[in-house]
Formats: sequence, C-alpha cells, structure tokens
Amino acid sequence: MSVIEATLKPYSREWLLSEQPTSRHQARLGRAYVIWRRFSANRLALAGLGIIILLILVAIFADVLAPHNPVQGDLRNSRLLPPGSAGYLLGTDDQGRDILSRLIHGSRLTLFVVVLVAIIAAPVGLIIGTVSGYAGGWVDAILMRITDIFLAFPKLVLALALVAALGPGIENAVLAIAVTSWPPYARIARAETMTFRNSEFISAVKLMGASPFRIVLRHVMPLCLSSLIVRVTLDMAGIILTAAGLGFLGLGAQPPLPEWGAMIASGRRFILDQWWVAAMPGAAILIVSLGFNLLGDGLRDALDPKEAGQ
Amino acid sequence: MLHSLRTSVRVLSTSAALSLLLAAAPQAFAATPADTLVEGFAIDDIITIDPGEAFELSTAEVTANTYSKLVMLDPADTSKVIGDLAASWTVSDDGMTYTFKLKPDLKFASGNPLTAEDVAFSFERAVKLDKSPAFLLTQFGLTGDNVAEKAKATAPDTFTFTVDKAYAPSFVLNVLTATVASVVDKKVATEHAKAMTPSADYKYDSDFGNEWMKTGFAGSGPYKVLAWRANEAVIMEANPNYYGEKPKLKRVIYRHMKESSGQRLALENGDIDVARNLEPNDVDAVSKKEGISLTSAPKGTIYYFSLNQKNANLAKPEVAEAFKYLVDYDAIGATLIKGIGEIHQTFLPKGQLGALNDNPYKLDVAKAKELLAKAGLKDGFTVTMDVRNTQPVTGIAESVQQTLAQAGIKLEIIPGDGKQTLTKYRARTHDIYIGQWGSDYFDPNSNAETFTVNADNSDEGKNKTLAWRNAWDVPKDLSDAGKGALLEKDAAKRAATYEDLQKKVLAQSPFVIVFQQTEVAGYSSKLKDFKLGPSFDTNFVYPVSK
Repeated sequence: MSVIEATLKPYSREWLLSEQPTSRHQARLGRAYVIWRRFSANRLALAGLGIIILLILVAIFADVLAPHNPVQGDLRNSRLLPPGSAGYLLGTDDQGRDILSRLIHGSRLTLFVVVLVAIIAAPVGLIIGTVSGYAGGWVDAILMRITDIFLAFPKLVLALALVAALGPGIENAVLAIAVTSWPPYARIARAETMTFRNSEFISAVKLMGASPFRIVLRHVMPLCLSSLIVRVTLDMAGIILTAAGLGFLGLGAQPPLPEWGAMIASGRRFILDQWWVAAMPGAAILIVSLGFNLLGDGLRDALDPKEAGQ
Repeated sequence: MLHSLRTSVRVLSTSAALSLLLAAAPQAFAATPADTLVEGFAIDDIITIDPGEAFELSTAEVTANTYSKLVMLDPADTSKVIGDLAASWTVSDDGMTYTFKLKPDLKFASGNPLTAEDVAFSFERAVKLDKSPAFLLTQFGLTGDNVAEKAKATAPDTFTFTVDKAYAPSFVLNVLTATVASVVDKKVATEHAKAMTPSADYKYDSDFGNEWMKTGFAGSGPYKVLAWRANEAVIMEANPNYYGEKPKLKRVIYRHMKESSGQRLALENGDIDVARNLEPNDVDAVSKKEGISLTSAPKGTIYYFSLNQKNANLAKPEVAEAFKYLVDYDAIGATLIKGIGEIHQTFLPKGQLGALNDNPYKLDVAKAKELLAKAGLKDGFTVTMDVRNTQPVTGIAESVQQTLAQAGIKLEIIPGDGKQTLTKYRARTHDIYIGQWGSDYFDPNSNAETFTVNADNSDEGKNKTLAWRNAWDVPKDLSDAGKGALLEKDAAKRAATYEDLQKKVLAQSPFVIVFQQTEVAGYSSKLKDFKLGPSFDTNFVYPVSK
C-alpha cells in the first residue's frame, strides 16, 4: 500500500484524489480539489465567478479604465447624449457625465457595500447562532428571541428606518443592511450546531477537557462555515439590491457618488425619452446580482451536496 | 372520473381568470370626471392650510382659491388692485387710515354671515399667532396689544385699518392682497380654538383655531377645502355660498405627483387634466402631443441659494463673492431650466418696479480661486447644502457641486422633502440652502424687505426675513435705502433707489440668485380658460371649465 502511495507524484491529480492521504496538507488540498472539480463542472457557476472576478478587477483598476471623470460632467455640451456618441460609449446623464465612467467607479461602491456587509453580518450571525445552538437553555431562548425580533420586520423596511434615524449616507446604509441581514445566518448556524452538539466527536473533545469556548470556536464553527458561505454568497445579490434600493430612495450614497441605485433614481425622470440614463446602471445591477446568484448556487452544489438536490 | 373533474376545474378557473383580465382591461382608458378638474402638482411643501400661518408656494394657490380677501390684484392688469370682499375703500387725508366698505350679504362657506367683525378677527388672529407671514401685517405697526384698536369693525359692513406711517396707498393695498390677509370665519375658528397656557412666547389663552385650521377650512372663496392629506391630495369643492360668479366645475383635486415624467404620463393618459411640474424635456415632448396644450407665465419667483452667515467660512465676504463666480449660469440656462426659467441674478424679478436685469456674474473658476485664496481658504473647505428633492433644484445643486469642486470646495448635498429643508432653514441650522422665493405681494418692497432687512439678528429675531434666516447682518445703509423707497411717492425715484440697492446687494449679499421662474403647465385641450397667473396666489381655477 505504502509503495503505491510513494509512487504518486505530489500535487498530481492522483495524489490529490488519493483515498489515503499521508498528510493533513494533502487531505486538505485533496478536499479543495474535489470541491473545485464539482464547482467547475457547473458552467453557470463558472460564469458567475467570471462576472465577480471581472467586477473586482474593474473596481481595482477603475481609475485606469474610466475614460472620463465620473463626477465632473460637461453640462453645456454633453448632456443626455445617447449611447455610442463619440467618446461616450454608454451615453451621458443629465449632468453631462459619462455613464460608463460612473458605472466603473460605481463598482467600487457596490463591492464596498457587499464586502463590508458580509464582514460585519456573517461573523455576528455565526457567533450568535453557534453559541445559542451549543449552549441551549435560556441563552438560546434569549438570543433566538432577539433574532426573531429582527426577522419580524421586512428587511428593506427595517433598513429604511435605520437609515432615516442615522441620516442618509453610504456608511449608514452599510450599517443598516448589516444589522438587518445577520439573523438568517444566526438561524442557519444554530440549526447546524444543534445537529452536531451531541455527536460523538464533540463528546470526545469534551472528555479531553476542552472548554465550551474552544469547542464552539475550533470544532463547531468550522463545520458551520460552508453552509454560511453559501448563504452569504447567495445573499450578496440581495445586499446589492437593498443598497441600490436605498440609493434609489435617496437614503444611500449621496450625489455626486456614482452609486448605481442613485443613478437609476436620477435617470428615471428621463426614462421616456432618454432610456439609457436609467437602463445602464439597471443592467449593471442585474449582471452583478446574477453573477453573485450563479456563484452562490454553484458553491452550494459544491460545498453542500446534500442540499444540492433540493 | 377524478381526472375529468380536475379538467373541468381547470377549465373553469382558467376562464374565470380570463374574464377577470377582460373586466380589468377597460380601466386603462380612465378619464377624469366631467365636473372635476384634476391637477398633478408637487404639493409636498404644504405644512398647513391656515392662511394665518401658511407661507408656502403651493399653499398660496390653495388659499387663493378658497379664501377671500378685502382686495385682490386685478387678474387683467396686476398693477391694479380691485375689491374682493370690499365694495369700496377710502384713505384718510393723512394717509394713515383706510376704511373698507364690504359688499352686501356676504357669507362664508359654512353659511355664517361674513361681517367686518370677521375681517377684524382675521387680522387680530394673524398678528397674535405671529407665524411666518405675520410680518406682512406687523410692518404696519400692528402688535398684539394694539391690533384690536388699529384693525377694527366700526359697523357690520365697515372695517377700518390704521397704519403707522403715510405709506404709498398702493403699497398698503398690495400687501392686503397677500394670503395672510385672508378673511377667516370667526365663529368656526373660535369653535375649534384650543385652550393654551399663556407663556412668555405666547401671551394668549387661545390658539384661535390654528391647530384645527392646519387641515380645517373656514373661508369664503369660490371653492372650499374638503380635505388636505399631506403628500397625497388637496380636494376642493365649489362653495355654494360664494358671493361672486359660481365656479364652473364642481370639484378640483390637486394630486401630489412629484415626478415630472409621472405627471407627463398621467396627462397623456388622461388621468389628470393639468400637469404642473413638467421639466424641460417633458415640456418638449408634451408640446408635440395632440390634445395637450401648454401655457406659461413668468412668475415673480426667483431661485437662489444662500450662505448661512453663522458658518465661519461662508461669513467671509470673499467667499460669498467666490460662490457667485462658481455657478455655470449659461449652461444651466441652456439645459436644466430651459423653458421653465431664465437666468436672473438680482433680487427683484423682471416685471416688478425697478427690477434690474443685469447678470454680471459668469462662471470663472480662476477668479473664484483668487477670492478664496484672499479669504485664506486656498485649499477649499467642506460645506453642506440642504436640497429639496424636486427638480430643478436638485439638478442645479448637483451642477453647483461640480463647479464648486473645481475651486476645491467640497459640497455635500443633504436631500430632504420640502418640509424638512424648510424647517431647517427657518431654524437657521443649515449651511447652504437652495430654494425659491416668491414675492408675497406685487411690490418691490416684498423682495427688498426679505433680502435686505434684518432688524434682530439673534435666534429670537421676530422678523424672519431671508436675511434673518441666513443670519446676514445687513449693513445699515442697505436696509435704510429699502425703507426709504417705501415712503417715496414718486415712482421713478423709487425705482432708481431699488436699482441702486440691487447692485449693492448683488455685490455684498450671501445670496446667489440663479434664475427667475417661468411657470409652465401642460393641460388637456378639453379644458377651457385654464391660465396661470403672474404669481402663485393668482393661479385661479374657478374660471376653468371642460
């Protein structure tokens, strides 16, 4: 047996897929490889990943890519030009600003919102869910009732109320969305935790003297991660839409920031005659949301095979 | 058996769904009722419809159509004043006492008789409530203590009004055409009065029905207000007790519609008869449609933005001047306000006595930078602007934001609805406010006063003029010039004084005046006699018919 193992070339396909990994390192890489194979078998998921990578690249190189200044327009000469006009591929808006440049710079805001919300909401949900699920009893009851309170409000309405109280602005919008989006994560993490809190490996760790803190942090949380990642990725489309919705209502990013939702809001006045002012940012939101959804779907299939069939 | 039953259920439900669809289809061709005028209008600035308190543009139109005053502007020639409730009037030889004789058999919409007693009550009420428009009356020397004596009913049909100086009679009469001089039904208002605890700020034990009249109606105009629902609608119905010619349409509904494109669609579909807030591109599009006509009238309304002098940066005179160089007037005139206004930089709108039509300022970033450097603000600064969420102000604010950025000034826009921004403005807690100013009456003194008089610059100041709202401590020679012109009986000399005053204000004031409004309305060609008046309280709807 060991002879066969020894003949496998490290990092080759067979080495990665080996049934008897010789090191932790090999086992981990092998698992990642399997997930990647499952993921990449899904063409749509790859397309989603492509869109998101493109979004990130556009956001990083916005300064280089944008042909015009996104916040300075030429009101007099280039107002409301249709797509395809000289120098303005996607046309210009009512202040004479290049829509393409605004979309490119707007990708930064979109990413900023999505990433910040994910960074704030996911850990909060994870901690509350796992603690609640593992501890049980009154801790569970209190934490879950708090979660219930947040879940009782429609997401956008609660976010609107928060922004109205905090004052409009993109940072407050991020905060409001984060506050409204952690409860589902807590629920998922709790449900997952409940399934293994009484399993044998947890009992084994307990017997070895691990503290509850260590058990939750080192043994429960990692097991909840994959379903959480799937859920967060799927939610990102929703986050983008909520942020755009707040921007549309004038409560998100303030002018002149090229936030996509705000761009639609300012373009809706011209929708009858100059459709492109609202349609272009709308298309951008559509594509990016679709990208996150496809990626999330693919990740779910790859990470969580038992849910894939549902 | 079971299978066939299912099939029949399916057929049934499908046909039910289809018939629902068919039944719903004709609604697409809804038209407004033949006896009702429906106007699409942005009415989010209405905060009360009490004429003793209201001081907003949309409210002026509502009160003008529902309340009567002693005198009104002659719709045919606005330089003249004609009697509304008053049949005639005389001025005493010393020019201080005005005696009005009321028309016979006047009645309020409530059915109560309208007497000089009600007129006196309305004046007393406005003065004692001391809300934003009260200064229009108190400028004649009225106070809570002497109003009962100075504005009183000497007979059931005779009302005398005593002023403190020998003003030009046309000025006094012009002021009495303002909303605040509307006659309120004393009986109705008193019935709904709320008891108040007298305090240092408010010395009277009654609110004169102010709280109730926020939404309640106690007038005698051609229409009566049935309901006002904030940001939704104002519904008016013909007043059967109106003394004059009866309105031709039974109902008038102002539907709150903020969006120009929404108004345009509704107008094209016949959901509304009149669209009042069309933007340039929609005006263009509507004018090409059959069955829709356009009407326009230059308004005594100017759009400006003003710098609160409480802000240390904005208080520097160089900064104020720099702002005047940082507006792209030409581009704004050619695009954002095309057809709905023209560039105008002085405080008197074209058409008023002594109006100066000079527009000396142009976009000049270099010059502005030089001025900013002189003020010690070479690297610019950050400042906020409160902007009402309607066009064209939002567009102009964004344009100004861009031009200011070229000189290093970072402008943060704080959006809000009309109520929020106005409330903040009146509390003097803004940095920069952008909005419009409509003259309260057709006399140069209206604008001269609000832009150049600020008697008490403390937060407790009672005379809440625009100068006060921006904490501008007006140089004495400017306010005196305006006050002097008020007593000047020679029209040519008076005009010359105002011209000189405008030049000085243009150079020194913290007001950046951008343009004068031309009001445009698109209306269904089914309407007859739909016209816009020269001011917001002369947009009468009672002559309109279908």
